[in-house]
Amino acid sequence: MYQYIIRRILIFIPMLFFLTVIVFALLKAAPGDPYSRILDPEISAQDLEDLREAGGLNESIVVQYVNWVTAATKGDFGESFRYVGRDVSDLIMSRLPNTIYLSIFALAITLIVAIPIGIYSARNPYSPLDYFATGFGFFGLAVPNFFFGLVAIYLLSVKLGWFPAQGYMSSSSGDGFAAFIDRLHHLVLPGLTLGLASTASYMRYMRSEVLSVLGSDYIRTAKAKGMTERTVLYKHTLRNAMIPIITLFGFEIGALVSGAVITEGVFTFPGIGMLLIESIGTRDYPVIMAITLLLGVFILVGNLIADILYSIVDPRIRYD
Amino acid sequence: MKKNKWLLLLAFVLIISLLAACGGGDEEEAPEEDDETEEGTGDDGGDDGEETQPEGPVYGGTITGAMHTAPDGQFNPIFYETTYDSNILSFTHNSLLRQNDNLEYEPNIATEWEFSEDNRSVTFKLRDDVYWHDGEQFTADDVVFTYRSIAHPDYVGAGGQRSSYAAQLVGFEEYRAGETDEFPGVVAEDDFTVTFHYKEPNVTALMHSNFTPIPEHIFADVPVAEMPEHPASQQAGEVIGTGPFQLASMIEGQEYRLEKFEDYWQGEPYLDAIVWRIVNQDIMLSLLETGEIDFIGDPSGFQPADYAMVEDMDHITIIEQRDFGYQLLGFIHNYVPEEDLEEGVFVPENYIENPRISNPQVRQAIAHAIDREALIGDGPGDGLLHGRGELMNAPIAPQFWAYDDVNPKEYDYNVDLANELLDDAGYIDVNDDGFREDPDGNEWVLTMVYPSGNEIRERSAPIIVEDLEAVGIKVDLLSPFDMSAYTGALTETKEFDLYLLGWSLGTGDPDPSGLWSADAGFNFGRWYNPEAEELRIAAVTPPDAFDQAYRTEVYSDWQVMFQEDLPALILYAQNMLFAHSNQMQGINPSVASFNRDNHLWWLLPEDN
Repeated sequence: MYQYIIRRILIFIPMLFFLTVIVFALLKAAPGDPYSRILDPEISAQDLEDLREAGGLNESIVVQYVNWVTAATKGDFGESFRYVGRDVSDLIMSRLPNTIYLSIFALAITLIVAIPIGIYSARNPYSPLDYFATGFGFFGLAVPNFFFGLVAIYLLSVKLGWFPAQGYMSSSSGDGFAAFIDRLHHLVLPGLTLGLASTASYMRYMRSEVLSVLGSDYIRTAKAKGMTERTVLYKHTLRNAMIPIITLFGFEIGALVSGAVITEGVFTFPGIGMLLIESIGTRDYPVIMAITLLLGVFILVGNLIADILYSIVDPRIRYD
Repeated sequence: MKKNKWLLLLAFVLIISLLAACGGGDEEEAPEEDDETEEGTGDDGGDDGEETQPEGPVYGGTITGAMHTAPDGQFNPIFYETTYDSNILSFTHNSLLRQNDNLEYEPNIATEWEFSEDNRSVTFKLRDDVYWHDGEQFTADDVVFTYRSIAHPDYVGAGGQRSSYAAQLVGFEEYRAGETDEFPGVVAEDDFTVTFHYKEPNVTALMHSNFTPIPEHIFADVPVAEMPEHPASQQAGEVIGTGPFQLASMIEGQEYRLEKFEDYWQGEPYLDAIVWRIVNQDIMLSLLETGEIDFIGDPSGFQPADYAMVEDMDHITIIEQRDFGYQLLGFIHNYVPEEDLEEGVFVPENYIENPRISNPQVRQAIAHAIDREALIGDGPGDGLLHGRGELMNAPIAPQFWAYDDVNPKEYDYNVDLANELLDDAGYIDVNDDGFREDPDGNEWVLTMVYPSGNEIRERSAPIIVEDLEAVGIKVDLLSPFDMSAYTGALTETKEFDLYLLGWSLGTGDPDPSGLWSADAGFNFGRWYNPEAEELRIAAVTPPDAFDQAYRTEVYSDWQVMFQEDLPALILYAQNMLFAHSNQMQGINPSVASFNRDNHLWWLLPEDN
């Protein structure tokens, strides 16, 4: 098992390396550079040229990449072009916690809501609650994120005043537990918004998986042996039904981070997603590279976790 | 063992759900938060229990303003980049001079100024009662230090972009090249007298001398290359200016709290604090309505489409004024030859004519064919701007003395005239495909490009194409470019004929050289008209140009020529729309900014 994990982590390294090569090449293939968006006659052409020179933008692509990689392996991701005087790692660290809180919150909502309802729907197909859940599932998948977010803000924040409409904390949040509660309070609306679509799809997956497992031979055997419904459900059905969910979950960890862009925008929730989009628009490539690398790590780690969970859920799966 | 893992997972899920429940249980407390904002203002109301409206300004109170995009967090005037940062800086910093509503310079922290006989030097007397937020006195040395910093060899490498303010000073080149430590361009005569020495007599000396000073006592020991990282450039509580408010605290990307500076030289500001919140544009107005935010001012105001909605809010006052800037439909007159592109130079004499649009009559026909008033619209629900915009007939901000609203030709919407001009020029539909061919009978297609980023401009593109097709001009509208790619494409591609772009104009001086001189990079149409060039240069050439009446006249001629030759058709200028609650008093926007005299803003006590 541990050998397997170490082997997987070693495989990560060349994968991440190729990821950076590809992203860097794509970035450089796109027209424009970090200074081409500056349209200000007050800035002299000479200054712009000097800025490019100082930023190493006049070097060849290969040299630029090698410079970046050499620094990055030492943990130095350089300085942002757009945020003058800010280290990329500092910039990302100021945003990353927000995104992680938001993602965990959304994921928790997803799992807590989707799994029980999915199971219930499967066990009582075509019951009123199943119809309701199915209807909700289609609604969740069909409604665009930003629209749901805006409606939620309007109803739950502007009209009812239950939750803050914007931001990730209030200025008077205090510290310790009060601050924690304040953060959670701010997380509710964006978390719901972000979790909506995945809740809907998890629910659908769960329902169909459980349904198909319930119809299989070994379940019939288990029932024939006289096992209680509970044991059949928790010991035999769920374990088998969880496998595809775990696969989804592995991807979800990466997707949640990058997929939060729109939600972060609607709630002005300063996270990684917004930073990434801004940076792409301004060709701030040190930031883009660092975030891509981070996302790569997230997705790979997510998949590793999924693999490990497989072995827990399904005893047939062994890694050695 | 496996059981334990399951338990752990379950415990994790449970904890999360518990926490989620806590978040939900907070509901009842939430309304209190709303009250809090009101309380802040209500407190002041408590002072005078009687039902009387106070006659004049009262001290105290906190107001909240909204911006839709967060500042980058670079609060050093010599390094900031975005208008959002500069919006914060307009509360925390002062410059030597200010401009009145005619955009003439007036004393601010400089009391008077005098030009030398040869007009090469200008000497400012500074106030002796101006203090930095940390209590140090502001002196001429701060001004000298600021200019030394932006002229410093390391300044640009550190990310600075404003060396043009110092570029015309004596000794700039030598100092910037690192050849000498002396920078004779700016000299402190004594503590409160500073002289700027320009290489040539400088018509725009006041503008160039008016750069916002930074505190020498904070930055003196900081190498210029490290200034942008320094806490005094970035961190709340550390940013030091001479303005009426100081940046007291911030939650990055979300909230910026400015607290009053009691020793402000114009007197203690009335408001205790101004809070800037970053709010998504789509819900800004909802928060304005509920009172969670009190005003929407610089830099973007609110959207024209929302005008009717804001007008319906009883507790809100709207301020509408002309903006500094315009949107244009540019004509690509010429291309830059390949050799010059490689060298990165713009030599007007080498430009290659674009035959598809080189006939001025064609450009004029296009100008007549576009219904600019329809783009602006008549009122709510009409046009792209819902009536909240103005036509402009020359590329100088109308707020300036230099703008001529009489003589330059106005292109009214006139399809018949457009058709006539095109017929005259020989562009006639010879093969009956509904579109005109060029005078040689070849297919004639104009390629139009536009950038993404401004929704109204994006929506104007297909409307303009329709207008042009209505007079038989075939237009190939390319899909939008993102801004970073756009300028490069405009400069290098040789297939474009029409382009959309918008400019914000500086308020310092009306000189249009940065955008429209023949060798300017931003003159994307590569307009080159030697006569117009002569006028443009004459307007800033001393000694005549020290006479404003002379400049006005020359600029008038230049504007007439601009409209005749049409390097671009100016489509519209969108109005600036500000909104503030009626509780906010003393609002006195200048033609250029909502934020003028913010030390005089005050809050009407509530419950009156």
